[in-house]
Order: sequence, then C-alpha cells, then structure tokens
Amino acid sequence: MKIKKDFMLRNVAGYYVVVPVGDGALNFNGVINLNESGAFLWKTMENDVTEADMVAALLGEYDVDEDRAKADVAAFVKKVSEANLVEE
Amino acid sequence: MNQENKTFYEISKEKYIIAGVNVGMILRKGGVIETQAQKYRADFEGYPQIVLGIDDETLTRHGATIPQLSLLEHEYMWTGAEFSEQLLNFDGFMLHASAVVYENKAYLFSAPSGTGKSTHTSVWQKTFGEDKTFILNDDKPVIRVIDGEIFAFGTPWSGKTDRNENVGVPLQGICFVERCETNWIEPMSPKDAIQRILDQTIRPKDVQNMTKLLELLENVLTKVKVHTLHCNMENEAAIVAYNGMNK
Repeated sequence: MKIKKDFMLRNVAGYYVVVPVGDGALNFNGVINLNESGAFLWKTMENDVTEADMVAALLGEYDVDEDRAKADVAAFVKKVSEANLVEE
Repeated sequence: MNQENKTFYEISKEKYIIAGVNVGMILRKGGVIETQAQKYRADFEGYPQIVLGIDDETLTRHGATIPQLSLLEHEYMWTGAEFSEQLLNFDGFMLHASAVVYENKAYLFSAPSGTGKSTHTSVWQKTFGEDKTFILNDDKPVIRVIDGEIFAFGTPWSGKTDRNENVGVPLQGICFVERCETNWIEPMSPKDAIQRILDQTIRPKDVQNMTKLLELLENVLTKVKVHTLHCNMENEAAIVAYNGMNK
C-alpha cells in the first residue's frame, strides 16, 4: 500500500495539511487535515508498506498497546482508501 | 469560438511594476489586462523579474475548458494565474478578495463569488468616507512578505471593474465574509484559515511551488489575523469588522 504521489503533506503553522499537486489537483480540490499521529501514519504510507509495517512503526513511535495500534492503523487505512488516496 | 477570437490583435510589449516586482508583459492591445495594467506601466533597468505572454494557439488550448470566454478574457485569466504562480518566487500570492484601505492599512475580504465581498468594502467606503478610504483591488490583491512585513498590493487583475490602485499598504487583516442578518465577527483558527485561503487562491500544480505557497501562508498566518465576518449591508457591518480586526 502506498499513498498516491500526487499529494503532499506539510506542517503549516503547527497543523498538518495534505494538499493535492500535479494530476491530483484535477480530481481533488480540498485540503485534508491530519493530527500528529495521522501525519505519522501518512508518512509511513509514502513508501510501499503493509498494515503490519505501519503497526510496528506506530508502536515504535507512540506509547500504545498493540490492539489499539492495530485498530488505529486499520481505521486510518480505511479512511485514506475510501478517499481514493491510495495507489491501485 | 466567438467572433472576437478571429480578430488579429496588435501586440503591446511593455514594462510594468506590479506588487513591487518588475514585470514584462507581451499583451494583446486593447485587451482587458492591457487596458487595466496601464497605470502599472513603469520603466526599470535590466531584465524583468517576471515575464508574461502567451500565443493565440496555446491560449485557446488553455481556455478550451471555458469556451464561452473570449480570447481576451482568457488572456486576462491566464496572465493572472501565471503572475500569481511566478510571484511565489518573490514571497507573494494573489487572494480572491476585495481589499479596502483605511488609515493606511489594508483590510481584505474574501469569499466565493457572489457572497458580497465588494458590497462589504463599499459599505466601508460609505461608513468611513469615500475621501478616507479607497479600494486597493476589487478581486485579486497580492499579499506579499517584504523584509518580514506583510503588505497588500493592488494589481491590474481587479475583475470586471477597474477598481485597483498601484500601491502597497501594510496588511491589517483578512476576513472571510458570510451573509447574516446580524453583524458579528469571530477569529478563525489557523487550520480553517489555511483551508479557506487555499480555496480562494490559484493553487500551484507542482510540488515546489505548492511548498513555497504553504511556507508563505505559514509566515502570513503568524503575523496577520484571520476572521470570519458574518454581516449584512448596514454601516454597522463595517464598524464591527473594523473593531474586530483592530483588537
């Protein structure tokens, strides 16, 4: 799984925003707001990863238990997939 | 394509200073932008910092999505978009807003078309006096950072009216206008402000320029307050806006 390359994540004034660039801007004209852990998961998905990789990364970065991490990753992946932000 | 597109236009090749930047424009004589840019004509030494100009064929291709507009209207839009994008190299961008100046400070009112930006700045003129206020730009003023200070500039891209002035003024605040029966103003969080500003500006398509725009927004948002103004067309609307943006 990998986030489409046509989106870029930036921290602006303390807020994480995702904006479309290139062809992404043709189909999506909004702004996505992420919290800190959302931005962290987004960054992991800028490379080709599995959900298990993301859970491991989350556990390495945040003080959460594995069940919670799995649930959070699954919820995040579901959201970005539904928003059509993941490469086919 | 309408008749106007078949006409051959004489070409004007002139120097301008817009938002403090040296600009060379190759334009169709008598076109919207060539006409509105007259008061920005100025001489400068050396090469222009920004050069704008587009041939008929490329312009027609660009305008194909809105075929009901004439070649001259497409030229107006294309030059505006291109200027805004190139201006990122000089720490500036254009915001879709009506800008009024009072007490040597600029107040920008932005909203989607038809909400009443121009109506609101007219209320300012009525309330604070035609002699004490002026419209800096009625459609696309520039916001530019110069030596750490935020300025608003008039530009020739002022929509269908010629309401623009070739000056730069310290930017006091930005409001997003919403129609309401009563007048009240509330601060907008930076998170919402980023989104609203991006919705009312021409977004760069490439990563490098988008990065520049977001860095610029961050800089602007640390120094300039953004509000939501809920307003009607009474004089009170201008007073509420003025007080809220000067707190």
